Amino acid sequence: MISSLKRVAFRKFRESEVQLHELNYLFWECTTRCNLNCRHCGSDCSKDYSYPDMPVDDFLAAVDTIKERPENFTVVFTGGEPLLRKDLESCGRALRKRGLRWSLVTNGHLYDEQRHISLLNAGLGALTISLDGLEASHNWLRNNDKSFTKVIHAIELAASSGRLSFDVVTCVNQKNISELAQIRDLLVSANVKSWRLFTIIPIGRAAGDQELQLTDDQFAELMDFIALQRKGKQIDVKFSCEGYVGKYEPLVRDSYFFCRAGINIGSVLIDGSISACPNIDRSFTQGNIYRDNLYEVWLNKFLPFRNREWTKKGKCASCKDYKDCWGNGFHNWHGDMNDVLVCHKEKIEHAAKNQH
Amino acid sequence: MKSRFIRKILGGLSFTSALFVFQACYGTPQDFGNDLFVEGQVKAKISGLPIKGIKVSVADNLQYVTTDEDGKFSFYTEMIQHLALKFQDTDSTLNGLYAGKDTVLADVTENVYLDIILEEK
Repeated sequence: MISSLKRVAFRKFRESEVQLHELNYLFWECTTRCNLNCRHCGSDCSKDYSYPDMPVDDFLAAVDTIKERPENFTVVFTGGEPLLRKDLESCGRALRKRGLRWSLVTNGHLYDEQRHISLLNAGLGALTISLDGLEASHNWLRNNDKSFTKVIHAIELAASSGRLSFDVVTCVNQKNISELAQIRDLLVSANVKSWRLFTIIPIGRAAGDQELQLTDDQFAELMDFIALQRKGKQIDVKFSCEGYVGKYEPLVRDSYFFCRAGINIGSVLIDGSISACPNIDRSFTQGNIYRDNLYEVWLNKFLPFRNREWTKKGKCASCKDYKDCWGNGFHNWHGDMNDVLVCHKEKIEHAAKNQH
Repeated sequence: MKSRFIRKILGGLSFTSALFVFQACYGTPQDFGNDLFVEGQVKAKISGLPIKGIKVSVADNLQYVTTDEDGKFSFYTEMIQHLALKFQDTDSTLNGLYAGKDTVLADVTENVYLDIILEEK
């Protein structure tokens, strides 16, 4: 009964969030250059080196159009690998001078002590570093035999800072699913407080690589693992907001599934395109900072993000959970858009059938 | 304003504060802003001139900066109850020779500006 009431309240809350659509979270795809050549790349970023890095002043001019900024407004530097840029610190300071917060997503390869210090000095407030397994499986995914050593050093540095809101993310795949408990122990020993787990979307280079995709049974195993860890106190473990997970919804995250792409999350992409999360199909671009006013685009466009009725097709057309799911994470709509790319709930249901 | 009020009520009924503290799936956690901006200038006691190259560091922390041509420095650091800063001449005689200094900032809740005077050795 209470659970049903909470769900109803949540649905209403989500509707009010859509109506308000405050821009809380702005990604900046500041470069598409990268120092690694990961197996799953292309599944969550544009792998196009033809664009030069966007000049800081161009990005700041776009940010300056945002007239009404919520208190918790954050700019998230992403890539490519953002640390390849030497001017992140000057951009970070410029944002802080404007009273804004900024954070960084990195593969950790270049995150050494000097960079850690200079980023903190420039007002870095939050950080996410990717660790995709124990040494062999991490280096396999990252296609680099030194990556694990470097990322562990980066994680230890980040975890040593009392200032940073810091978490580690792991893309769970065939190679590392059996290592989750060991990875957890490794992170706990490195004093990491928060760990977020993903799966890999089958697009880009990842589409044809079966080793990157979890079977239905493995996906359910992942949900069980996360739900169990959340009962402990050692480390805050959660599933990312990549998709709706049916019966696991209250168990694997802090709140119910809510894809906020285009509702609270926007982005400025490498070519100036204005969109939501950078891993969303680029055909959903809503404007361009070199032509349009970023904030006007945010206020007046983004209709496919704020009314998702159009996703009620394919698997979603007759799904009884649609009112809680809204077509799953927006990044699961790619290509011809005839059907959702991944239905996490379906994977869980298939796994349950397999057990009987 | 009314919409924001309704949102808070509905969020509260869902019994989870996490509704207001979200992160994008491929983004970072939110920054809760627990820091302060420290800036200032380091000058020599007798000459009154700015000193370049003084290392300004945070005690029990990896963070440091070095003063510029005008003896100026600035950085963000974690807001803690007693913030201990060290001012050290680490470049020997390159920019003159000065005695170090330690400063503790107690209960600072806002950004601070420091005028630091170092004695010539």
